[in-house]
Amino acid sequence: MSDEQEHGHVQEHEPTRTKVPMPIATLSDPHLGDAAKNPARAEAIIALILLLGTIVIAGFGAAYWDNWNPWAIGATMGAGLFLLGFGLTAWGKYLMPQGPFVEERHVLASSSEERGSMAAALVERSAVVVKRRKLLGGIFALGSGIFGIVAIFPLLRSLGPPPGTSLKGTDWKKGSLLVDSNGRSVNHGTLVVGGIMTVYPEGLQNTSVGQAVDQTVLIRVQDSDLVTAEGRESWAPAGYVAYSKLCTHLGCPVGLYEQQLELLVCPCHQSMFNVRNGAVPQFGPAPRPLPQLPLYFDANGDLRAQGGYDQAVGPGYFERTTTKENGT
Amino acid sequence: MPAPRTHARRSRRRLQFLLPGGLLSVAALGVLALFFPGASAQASTTAKASAVSNSVKECGSVNLKGVSTTHNSGNPFHSDNLVCFDGVLIRYGDSAITYTNPPTSYATAGKLLFDQTCSSCHGTEANGLLPDGKANIGPNLQGVGAATIDFWVTTGRMPAADVAAVEAERKPPRLTDKEALEVAAYVNSLDPSVPAVPTANLKDANLADGANLFQLNCAACHTITGAGDALAFGTNAPSLQNRQVTAQQVVEAMRIGPANMPRFSGNLSDAQVRDVVAYVTEKIQHPSNPGGLGLGGVGPVAEGFVALLLGVGGLALICFWIGERS
Repeated sequence: MSDEQEHGHVQEHEPTRTKVPMPIATLSDPHLGDAAKNPARAEAIIALILLLGTIVIAGFGAAYWDNWNPWAIGATMGAGLFLLGFGLTAWGKYLMPQGPFVEERHVLASSSEERGSMAAALVERSAVVVKRRKLLGGIFALGSGIFGIVAIFPLLRSLGPPPGTSLKGTDWKKGSLLVDSNGRSVNHGTLVVGGIMTVYPEGLQNTSVGQAVDQTVLIRVQDSDLVTAEGRESWAPAGYVAYSKLCTHLGCPVGLYEQQLELLVCPCHQSMFNVRNGAVPQFGPAPRPLPQLPLYFDANGDLRAQGGYDQAVGPGYFERTTTKENGT
Repeated sequence: MPAPRTHARRSRRRLQFLLPGGLLSVAALGVLALFFPGASAQASTTAKASAVSNSVKECGSVNLKGVSTTHNSGNPFHSDNLVCFDGVLIRYGDSAITYTNPPTSYATAGKLLFDQTCSSCHGTEANGLLPDGKANIGPNLQGVGAATIDFWVTTGRMPAADVAAVEAERKPPRLTDKEALEVAAYVNSLDPSVPAVPTANLKDANLADGANLFQLNCAACHTITGAGDALAFGTNAPSLQNRQVTAQQVVEAMRIGPANMPRFSGNLSDAQVRDVVAYVTEKIQHPSNPGGLGLGGVGPVAEGFVALLLGVGGLALICFWIGERS
């Protein structure tokens, strides 16, 4: 549009609008679909659908009120809402005229005079009213800055309590008695070959730390003493061998023991550890062997730990080297 | 529910040899009372102890390779009730689980069945050897206990469909329950051993304890819903949701450790095994899904996928219908 035209419109204070008369709906209206041209039949069908929906919705009320089984409640609510919605949509789709309808709109932009006077007013007032206010801006910046810092707190808290010393060591120490989740100790005859159980240091079997960090799998691999690696000659008396239950990959509980394959399998990423040779990973993403707990039988015949784990349990972290061989 | 039916059948079967055994132990008690006059009032409490001490020699030699020494964990000589007769271990266990050996009279029929069905792989002596002494296809079955034979045969895993397969899969059993016991009686007669065939008394089971123990000991492989899962090298932990898995088979599996399953021995008492079995047969096999379809309890990823597929897919179809131009 030209400037001249705009100018004239502003003077008349009338919006530019293309006058399109709304067509009067008749049965010959090209916007009406086939069904709408025979409305009695379509209306009857839609009425039936809506009536059915009403009945089912009422049934939903009865089902809810009378506490029928959840299937009936869900089915009546779902079917009722669906039928009502279906009827409503069909009403709009088959009985109403279908578009496209086009409505012209006036030009949105203001005239150049209006824009010019607005700009002039802003420039004129800026010297007095609209100007930089360092005090207000500074206080606001301080407040929002503090809020920004505070907003980090829940992120940090969601990481859980600080690990403390649990990354470095466990509660297993020299002489720790091995007990199961019920606090029962383990003696020579408790497991037969092919058996597995989860053990904790005595007194910590029902604590969150004991269950999280100290959990250890005890497996009986054979009847006689087992040597899993050089330097571990006395660690697995009578074939009882104990490994940390925390996968060295991401710390999942390595609880799947396949007794014929003599493999511990991690359920998360299928790392496999051979229990005979010191749980060296033979498949999967685990970077280090599971730490082995040295065991001995005390005077009462109960299994105890010769000492703690000789290395940190659980997954690696950035301060720890991860080699496949000895995990040192 | 199929469980009570097999229960009744089994208890009837047990009656055949328990009756004479029971009568005999009553007679033995009477004799004891004669020797210790005045002790008859205590007889009921001392009966258990005397039964144990007497039967060690009456039980003959029993191969205890497969059981722990923990009290009431499936070891006949460390259990509350032990019944032996004529040098044969008949029954042992406690109030939670009773382990019963099939009657020795079954062994004759069992040998015939074994020769027909099992011997081609396990050898005619069930020792896993060919006549020339070389190793056969199947392992040595001597000394595995009647429960082991019963488990493999009643779950249909034996006779195996494919001897070269990584694992023998569960399938409809070839032999009947009674025939399985007959084979077990024969194999057990070659080297009397334990565990015997268990019957769990689920009446007093503690489902909450069972759930806890299931999570700690079973869920790692069988998953928390018992749906089973794949393991290493083509092996798998079978589904426990299959309602054809009986309470007896679950006890057997825990006590014998079939194939790659660990053997749960002294770390689970008979009462604890009973609790786990009750949890499996009542809750795992009859899951309650108040929200609708359980989808086999396969987990949130699968459930979310189905919800997305049906939900969003359905909505997309409806949108398509609403917005369709004629």
